[in-house]
Amino acid sequence: MARRPEILAKVRSIGAMPAAAVEAIRLAQDPDVDIAKLTRAIEYDPGLTSNVLRLANSAFFGFRRAIASIREAIVRLGMIRIVSLVAASSFAPLARRRIRGYDLPPGQLWRHSVASAIGSLELAQALGLRAPDQVFTAALLHDIGKVALGTFVEVAAEPIMALAFRQKVAFDAAERQVLGIDHAELGAVLLEDWRLPPGIVEAVAWHHLPTRFEGKDRLVTDLVHVADQICLVGGIGAGADGSHYRPSEEAVSGLRVTTRVIETVTCRILSGLSELGDLLAGETGE
Amino acid sequence: MNHTVGIGEMRVSSRPEDVLVTYSLGSCVGLAVYDPVACVGGLIHCMLPLSKIDLQKACANPCMFTDLGAQVLLQTVFDHGAEKRRLVVKVAGAAEALDREGVFKIGERNYTVLRKVLWKNDILIAAEDIGGTSPRTLTLYMDNGRTTVRSRGQEVEL
Repeated sequence: MARRPEILAKVRSIGAMPAAAVEAIRLAQDPDVDIAKLTRAIEYDPGLTSNVLRLANSAFFGFRRAIASIREAIVRLGMIRIVSLVAASSFAPLARRRIRGYDLPPGQLWRHSVASAIGSLELAQALGLRAPDQVFTAALLHDIGKVALGTFVEVAAEPIMALAFRQKVAFDAAERQVLGIDHAELGAVLLEDWRLPPGIVEAVAWHHLPTRFEGKDRLVTDLVHVADQICLVGGIGAGADGSHYRPSEEAVSGLRVTTRVIETVTCRILSGLSELGDLLAGETGE
Repeated sequence: MNHTVGIGEMRVSSRPEDVLVTYSLGSCVGLAVYDPVACVGGLIHCMLPLSKIDLQKACANPCMFTDLGAQVLLQTVFDHGAEKRRLVVKVAGAAEALDREGVFKIGERNYTVLRKVLWKNDILIAAEDIGGTSPRTLTLYMDNGRTTVRSRGQEVEL
């Protein structure tokens, strides 16, 4: 029943990112970018502009002093953060929707994504590691594939659920077996279209199978994987797939994750979420 | 009246029209207690087993931790007139990853700590729905103590 080609063909229309956002991300990764040009690219889209500013001023991105303009955001936050902000601003309205197939009510995927992003940083800290620049964005976007795959999972719910829950196959594996693709890979396809850096794309692609990442440094992928597992097991923003996944032993032992670390990070994620209040409640609009 | 009990929250009631519900019980434990004679009961949603991992937070919010929260719930319903010997106790949650071994065993730890607290109080669990990989919704109906668990679209009575 593999529907992989159909899914890939369809996803590009479902997950279309506003042109302004694609352009902004492209520009922000150019080392010689003209700030005025980048500012104009973002300001071209008023919805994107207001979302970027709202996020820039939120505790989520860690900046409490008022940032009043896009230009100021670019200058004060730098290019890496701007890429994060633009991607997050584009993802938020998608992640806020009800997502059938995974039984995610409105706002649930966004909650899970924000929790995972917070978790990835807290995890690095709890492990005594410096969080790589890309881990926060990768963790925030890791389940974007669910937005696109949801309708296909819904249609194929019976075989996927039977495979997963009766035959004890991990949910991502059940997706692959029935649909020919899983939400991780599909998410990576989308993010590649959005022109996000390869480090982020790869971490999203392999967030359930971190050992399949063939790059040199698996830290971002492993951190995203474990942060996601922490949220799934904890039920934070969980859907019908719940915690029906297999944590990677290699990632866990490679990072030296212990039960104590998991509990500490879980605790900090919840603190982080409660501090965010209206960011979670729906301040960024569609 | 419907009352949602969030993570690390507790609610006690003696009003028959109340319905207490808590969502997204993953590895957390939801504890529903009810005295059918006094018609007093309560619901708590605990996230983590032991409060010692964050004493500051434990002081601010003991209900986040199973070791403290379970005790707080029991004490509170007793203060409202419930009696230990009549108390009906039901548990839901303590989910886990698909691999039961490994470090993601918060669910199991929550359940173990809960059982310890109840044992110390000489209280038995009347019914439970725990483990597995699906999040649960636990609902306590204060009119007669009926308790239901909803998981993956199915609702069962505990």
